[in-house]
Amino acid sequence: MDALAAAIAVSIAALGASIGNGMVISKTIESIARQPELEGKLRMTMFLGVGLIEAVPIMAVVIAFILVFR
Amino acid sequence: MEETLVINVLGLSIGVNTLLSLVATVLLVWVFCMVSTKSMSVDKPGKAQLMLEWVYDFVRGLVGGAITDSKVQMYNLLGMTLLLFVFIANMVGLGFILTIKDYSIWKSPTGDPIVCLALALIMIILSHYLGVDKLGFKQYIKSSYMQPVSFMLPINIIEEFTNTLTLALRLYGNIFAGEVLLGLIASLGGSFFPVTWVIGIPLQMVWQGFSLFIGSIQAYIFVTLTMVYMSHKVETEH
Repeated sequence: MDALAAAIAVSIAALGASIGNGMVISKTIESIARQPELEGKLRMTMFLGVGLIEAVPIMAVVIAFILVFR
Repeated sequence: MEETLVINVLGLSIGVNTLLSLVATVLLVWVFCMVSTKSMSVDKPGKAQLMLEWVYDFVRGLVGGAITDSKVQMYNLLGMTLLLFVFIANMVGLGFILTIKDYSIWKSPTGDPIVCLALALIMIILSHYLGVDKLGFKQYIKSSYMQPVSFMLPINIIEEFTNTLTLALRLYGNIFAGEVLLGLIASLGGSFFPVTWVIGIPLQMVWQGFSLFIGSIQAYIFVTLTMVYMSHKVETEH
């Protein structure tokens, strides 16, 4: 049962992280296409956004590891 | 999830793997800074000095985006120390992970929740102290807890705890998950020599590269968020 719980946690975490990241990165690509001279700043802001979005799904992954390895 | 040797100091239990890698991280940062500033010159800088100057310029851009204060040098120095420490701490666990007889004796220091919580707690308490130092106690209470309406006080108090927890657990989760996967791919690669070496070694290299990328992004995010939280306490809206 622990393995099932870990699998459900990781799958929903992966879904959440990828949908969130996809939205941010697609908006960044669009903005770079509109204003190519701001590419450096937009790229740094994109990485900041990706790191912030991935924080909570990573916590779910850590909880899944705790379930599986103990 | 490995066991580790634990030493007890004054009733607190300290894990030996975190202790070893923390000391190594501090020594590495210190040696890097000493080597880069050994013989500095304005018109013929060496490579190490150029690298340190690049790091300082990067931190100055980070801090300048968050804090507009006259005494910005203090925040520059804090940001540079924090960035170097967190970046090198995320990197030391990538080269090798040592386990002797089922006891782990080397891993990333930021892969330990205690180290990450200590870092985040220090930064948040420092931001409160700097806020009181700059604005005086009454103005500090008014501008960071009673904003924008005074019944937002419980929400602002909860926000303090949330900021600390997420700042710490974001760094811990990323580095810890990376290390667990490093161990898993290593045990996959070592299970049936030589067939699994062909899959295991390139996969391990790819994952180490990705972990390098994630480690640097997380260091950048930690420093940026620290500066943003400090700017919330130090600057008032007129």
